[in-house]
Amino acid sequence: MVIIPFFTILPLSGAFIIYLVGRHSKFFTDIFANITTFVLFLLSLFILFFKPFEPLLYKVGGWLPPWGITLVIDGLTRFMLITVNFIAWTITLFSVNYMEKFTSKYKFYTLFLFMLAGMNGLLISGDIFNVFVFLEIASVASYALVAYGVEAEELEASFKYLVMSSFASLCILLGIALLYSYTSTLNIADMGVVLWEKGIVPVVIFSAVLFFLGVGLKSAIVPFHAWLPDAHPSAPAPISATLSGVLIKTLGVYLLLRIFYNLLGVNQIFLDILMFLGVLSIMVGVILAITQMDIKRLLAYHSISQIGYIILGIGLGTPLGVLGGLFHLFNHSVFKSLLFLNSGAIEYTIGTRDLSKMGGLRKNMPLTGWTSLIASLSISGIPPFNGFFSKLLIIIACMEKGYIGYAIWAIIGSILTLSSFMKVQKFAFLGKLNSLYKEVKEVPIFMRTAMVILAIICILSGGMLIPYLNNYFLLPAQKVILGGLDYKNINQSINNEK
Amino acid sequence: MIISDLFILDNLSKLVATFISFFILIILIYSFGYIKERKFSYYFWFLITGILSIGVVFTRNVWIVISLWGFLGFTLFQLINLSDDASSTAKKTFIIVGGSDGLMLLGFILYAYLTSSLSFNLYVDKQPLIINNGLALLSFIFIALGCFAKAGAIPLHTWIPDVAKDTTVPVVAYLPASLDKLLGIYLLARIVKDTFILDNWAKIFLLIIGSSTVIFAVMMALIQHNIKRLLGYHAVSQVGYMILGITSATSLGLASGLFHMVNHAIYKSCLFLCAGNVEKQSGSSELEDLGGIGKFMPLTFLFTLIASFSISGIPPFNGFVSKWMIYQSLLDLFNNTTFITLKVTISLSLVMALVGSGLTLASFLKLISSVFLGKPKKIVKEVGFSLYFPPFILSLLCIIFGLFAYSTILKFIEKGVGEIYFSGLWRPLLSTGLIVSGIILGLILFFFSARSIRYSSSYIGGEVLEDEVKSEDFYNTIKDLSLLKKIYNSAENKYFDIYDQGKRLIFLLGRFLSFLHNGVLPTYLVWCLIGMLGLLYLFFR
Repeated sequence: MVIIPFFTILPLSGAFIIYLVGRHSKFFTDIFANITTFVLFLLSLFILFFKPFEPLLYKVGGWLPPWGITLVIDGLTRFMLITVNFIAWTITLFSVNYMEKFTSKYKFYTLFLFMLAGMNGLLISGDIFNVFVFLEIASVASYALVAYGVEAEELEASFKYLVMSSFASLCILLGIALLYSYTSTLNIADMGVVLWEKGIVPVVIFSAVLFFLGVGLKSAIVPFHAWLPDAHPSAPAPISATLSGVLIKTLGVYLLLRIFYNLLGVNQIFLDILMFLGVLSIMVGVILAITQMDIKRLLAYHSISQIGYIILGIGLGTPLGVLGGLFHLFNHSVFKSLLFLNSGAIEYTIGTRDLSKMGGLRKNMPLTGWTSLIASLSISGIPPFNGFFSKLLIIIACMEKGYIGYAIWAIIGSILTLSSFMKVQKFAFLGKLNSLYKEVKEVPIFMRTAMVILAIICILSGGMLIPYLNNYFLLPAQKVILGGLDYKNINQSINNEK
Repeated sequence: MIISDLFILDNLSKLVATFISFFILIILIYSFGYIKERKFSYYFWFLITGILSIGVVFTRNVWIVISLWGFLGFTLFQLINLSDDASSTAKKTFIIVGGSDGLMLLGFILYAYLTSSLSFNLYVDKQPLIINNGLALLSFIFIALGCFAKAGAIPLHTWIPDVAKDTTVPVVAYLPASLDKLLGIYLLARIVKDTFILDNWAKIFLLIIGSSTVIFAVMMALIQHNIKRLLGYHAVSQVGYMILGITSATSLGLASGLFHMVNHAIYKSCLFLCAGNVEKQSGSSELEDLGGIGKFMPLTFLFTLIASFSISGIPPFNGFVSKWMIYQSLLDLFNNTTFITLKVTISLSLVMALVGSGLTLASFLKLISSVFLGKPKKIVKEVGFSLYFPPFILSLLCIIFGLFAYSTILKFIEKGVGEIYFSGLWRPLLSTGLIVSGIILGLILFFFSARSIRYSSSYIGGEVLEDEVKSEDFYNTIKDLSLLKKIYNSAENKYFDIYDQGKRLIFLLGRFLSFLHNGVLPTYLVWCLIGMLGLLYLFFR
């Protein structure tokens, strides 16, 4: 498949071209960045429907695995690619108007495309060292983007984020090094084969601990979450949306799935830890969120809480639980990005993030108000919006496996989520219009378009569970995870193909 | 009876759906005269609510019921939000109603877990689940909590008085007073009838909830100063009777609960609509601003009077018939059980229900005397046709269902729940005849002895009282009783409001967690290290 490398080539070359040309023409940057992300989105759709059920491989430079570098696309990758590139596209759309209030927009697009290249590269890479390289590309770009406003608050947040996240990268690198020393190969599938033959020894378990720490930090699972509430609100709204919407899932959850489910293998102790931390994240995140008065900080804490749901679903390890976790991953990307874009729209018009200073904004900004209401209902799990179905699956799966306590906690978390989003609605959009904002108008066209697209997906994507439709999107990804160590056979299929 | 995987069409659902449609129509007529602004969104959400409610009643598949039910919370939220200053009430309502939907969902999932089939229908054709262990009881309680929040029983009732006060009258008469009651009690009756077989502890649970709802809400209603809030508390209190009726799970009990539900929806929406008329014409719903309106609005006065008598359970109005049936069902349950705790609970509940009924009458005397009687504060006009026609129909129904209950609606309910046996008979026509003739006799005596009536001023302690004695001042003395005073004070500080207490608890926890997140980087790194040590321990154990 010759188009596979384009998932990284396109954004990388786009970043360079924008940096070179962008300073001369703003118009060009907007158009070019949007075309790049849109093409990437189309590519990921194409990859979904082109030979949807079998893994695709690309040998970089024609070298055969395990010696050469491979790019692998399987069900999980397809699922993640669509999520990432779809969100990235809506976010570049939103940025056309939003980033006007910052200087040197082209630098923003450059960094954004670097981050996107990092995420896409991480997803398609079949080589664990390349995974690390792309992870670092995405992370470094995100440090710069968090500090994009260059105010004291942003720089401090970025510094904290940088230290914590570098620590995570270090752990992952050390884990890779230990695994390499044991297996003498870097190809993930081949590593799986060697581990299968040589067996698990303490050094592998130690590297598993390091990986867990690394991906736990990247995906902000409690107790490794502390960097997130500082980093995510400080960034410009589109970047907050990307970080909360897709970055923590690509760098965190996807890597967790790939390394633990497909490479090292899971056991009950690991699953128990995962579920416990998931429930802990749900509760800690939501309780901290409910007390916040800064809208973006509130949303950031909710990211921790919602990641908890994803982790809980995946940690169950049952088909239904994994399906629910993956579905919630997608849904969360959509509604959390939308909520961050809404908060960006509010900040764009009235210039504050403080909930107590807002009020009655739905009268003047009906579209922002309604899309935000839809996203709030989705995240709180009100039927018939998408969040309801994924949470339902997770809770049913908990019950099915007999974890009634976890199901009750998940429901309580959901009730608290509803409470805190009702708080947002009440303070920001309902009630009497604050007299300061009489003249406030709805946001410009591209921001509106992005929000509407995401809101429509919030309403419709519950339908992805319908039997025929889920064959393409959710079930293949679920199959990869449930297949577990079968991932190691993926190189055979390429050799047979020849 | 038509029954399929998705839908159910038996007498129970037909009954409730009929009344839902009836209330949609009645309140639509009222709204034409009442709603003057934001017409589009009002009617949009109004109709959506109606359609979804009928959908809930006819649906059998549990996931569809849950989805519709959850969305109804949202439409309620939207309807409350039509009033500008009701946003915190709307928030509170949606949190309570939506949150209890979550609990109900959990109850259904537990049910599915216990019966080990995920694709199950609500009103099963197979054997109902016998509540014989903790989990089954938990499942029942969770589902019941969803019904309680919708209908408004303790402890999830606190949104109803707030909604009653803060929103426009048609919305209150539509949702908390009629549709939400119909749905909540309908579902409760359904699960008691078809889904579970209650054991003694589940019955005790229902009895405690029911009787405490009756008594606490009516005590709160006694001290209110606002008509709508007072009616709101009564809307809670009456739910207690319905729950008491349903508890016994016999056909008499179910019929009494359902009948009381219908009656309540009729007279309570009549009362709310009349209160709306008063508010619209006089511009206030505070008792102290009103007085003597009965002279100017005789129709509204008459309808309020009829509905008040019904709600207080005065024969021959409909409220009496259903309350009488509820008492009978409780007595039957008392006779048929040997479980001593249950016997004690039933006796206590009966006492509470009777006391509650008396206190209801007391609080409606307060309402009627301070709104419609006494010296007029200002001159108002009677309302137009579309505003007095709906209360007229509703109070007419109060009388019809009082006099002809056995031949009309109870026949219909009987087909849904099974044959009803009465232990104590009540002959409405005969007794009404006696009551009416007694009143006529009294009037005759009064007119013959009219010469001996003496008019004089009010005295207190030998001195003529200058100011008028307001009836609500009289009721304020209740507040000053030493024990009650404490309870009332804490109730007014919302110590009994589960919403506010929950809020306090969560904010306390939140402050503690915020204190831990002190923003210092080394602290966070220490957490990571502790986490890593924990992982090392668990992985290498």
